[in-house]
Amino acid sequence: MSRARMRTAVLAGLAMATALGTAACGGSADGSGTDGDGGVATTITIAQVQDQTGAVAYAGVGAKEGAELAVEEINEQGFLGDGVTIDMEVFDTAGEIERASSEMNKAMGNKDVMAILGPTQSQQAATVAPLVGRQKVPTVFTQAGAEGIVVNDYTFRATPPMESYYEPVLDWLEAEGATSVSVLYNATFPTFALLGKDSVPEWAEERGMEVVQSLPVEMTTQDFAGQAQQIASKGADALVMLLIAPQSVTALGQLQDAGYDGQIVATSVQAAGNISEAGDDANDLVYPVPFSVAFTDESSVAFTKAFEAKFDKSPNPYNADGYDAMWWIARAIKASGDSSREGIQEGLQKVAAEGYEGAMGAVTFDGNDARVPGQLVRWMDGKETLVN
Amino acid sequence: MQDLLNAATLGSIYLLFTLGMALVWGTIGILNFAHGATFMFSAFIGHVVTKHTELPFLAVIAIAVAVGAVMSTLTQLLAFQPILKRSKNQHAAEMRILIGGIGVAAIPLAIAQRYTRSSPFGFRSSYDAEVYQFLGLRITTTALIIIVTGLAIGIALTVWLRNSRQGLALRAIGVDAETSAGMGVNRPALALGTMAVAGGLAGLAGALLTFHLGAIAPETGDTLLIKAFAIVVLGGLGSMLGTVLGAYILAAAETFVIFMNWGTWVNAVSFGLIFLILLVRPQGLLGRKEVRRT
Repeated sequence: MSRARMRTAVLAGLAMATALGTAACGGSADGSGTDGDGGVATTITIAQVQDQTGAVAYAGVGAKEGAELAVEEINEQGFLGDGVTIDMEVFDTAGEIERASSEMNKAMGNKDVMAILGPTQSQQAATVAPLVGRQKVPTVFTQAGAEGIVVNDYTFRATPPMESYYEPVLDWLEAEGATSVSVLYNATFPTFALLGKDSVPEWAEERGMEVVQSLPVEMTTQDFAGQAQQIASKGADALVMLLIAPQSVTALGQLQDAGYDGQIVATSVQAAGNISEAGDDANDLVYPVPFSVAFTDESSVAFTKAFEAKFDKSPNPYNADGYDAMWWIARAIKASGDSSREGIQEGLQKVAAEGYEGAMGAVTFDGNDARVPGQLVRWMDGKETLVN
Repeated sequence: MQDLLNAATLGSIYLLFTLGMALVWGTIGILNFAHGATFMFSAFIGHVVTKHTELPFLAVIAIAVAVGAVMSTLTQLLAFQPILKRSKNQHAAEMRILIGGIGVAAIPLAIAQRYTRSSPFGFRSSYDAEVYQFLGLRITTTALIIIVTGLAIGIALTVWLRNSRQGLALRAIGVDAETSAGMGVNRPALALGTMAVAGGLAGLAGALLTFHLGAIAPETGDTLLIKAFAIVVLGGLGSMLGTVLGAYILAAAETFVIFMNWGTWVNAVSFGLIFLILLVRPQGLLGRKEVRRT
């Protein structure tokens, strides 16, 4: 290799690492709309600062659709009073932590923005959580299930962390007679790392189940042939599979090819049709979800119908996140009677103290952090059904 | 033995992806960062077509190869060739092409991400892979096809570059583009043909990998691009045989890490190994040492 090319190659490596690594008007009828003034402005701007592009855009785009439906309902019902409307402004974090930080700063710097729907990815959310505390902008995160996100009075989370509703999976496996489990998890994804390394083994042990193997993989792992064969050779009764969507499609096919015939349980990441590309290999997959079209709660059914009427498609958990988060903010404004940043922050805490009925059913809170019981669903021939 | 088979399959996947990139970088001197996007977008178009019509295996492959070849040719015509014309010297051109490739890659990536919402996508095909078992080993028909195709194309390209007139001309460009042009080598035409072949190979790799994995994501090409880059440097720039070796060495290292259940250390161990090899042989395993005359 010539020196010039070697130099180019080294610079290329650096460039690749870098490349890959990596307002509306708040017119106030009564003089409100600025921090701490009290009263409700005629137009309240809420910013959605979430991925609209990038590797997990499905979460941000899904939340946007849910939030749009909520805004439409809130405005049409005159929920916040005659002539009072919510206006949503969207900022794309594009799957990048640096971008999330700059877009959040942009949104927080706009005095018309009274509250924010914060990033869906844990790494992004954890980066901006201290900032919103310092800037005193109430921020409701959806998804972003890791620790270190709900860290101050201005950070809230509308999606229950997966860990809070995952334990029933182990109850179900125990009831099904499983005595041994394998764990395959994406150790780079904070929520999965926590579940796969600590929580699932602990819960399994409590139920007398033996964890026969624990296989961590990276975010960039694409081929699971080796892991699938190791899992098949151990032949545990069940496999807890904690992988992102594209990985799970591949892993399911390769587990089938390797001859593994135990029960596979996964996560809500496999919901929203993310597993449909696996075809028949995904049949009988069981996973817990905070929302599914299979839910029968009155508020969940109402959300499903309204969503289908607006978008002509079935809603998924990400849509439910955005919908519940936006309605939480609207209820907060009503509860405090104040659409300023301080007013919304106080209102969010008031609503959290009482809980609400939303797309995810009955939502309660642990501090500023949502909790739902979650339910197990089974994927079969392209549809989710409740596991009884 | 099963792990060796897994390493052979993984190595062949890397090889299929890397061959096109190695061919253009090692001969016409273009480090094409749009190669991953060409790979992904070829499979994506296969996905879009098969969403409407179920197609057999070979038809999907043909679509992906054609899309890859066209994309790559257009990239050369509309991006790289104008950059080359406007650059004062080869070194400046290489740097601009590098950045140009990243820019080109962003377009198909954005289209695929928007269409799929970054969800995984695959093919609706009448092809259904079977699992063969012999001596306790398991392998799918797709994995067999990937191994055979990867090796066959790798060897064929090596032989063609060594023995054909066009291969000689391409190697001459790789050694000294200006002198070879003075000797009558038509660089623009050969560059266009080479980019088309590389794009076709990217399309082939995209389709085969999607069949093998069941689905890929819009970002899959980016991950493979880093590995391909490492493979070319490890094997030695300009040596197709080196690329073949590099692909299987990287796959063997990764499979060993998985066998040891050090799953999160795959990249660290594999790239660390490459780093060590390059310390001993900076020119790569089969790369030639440059002789500079003063």
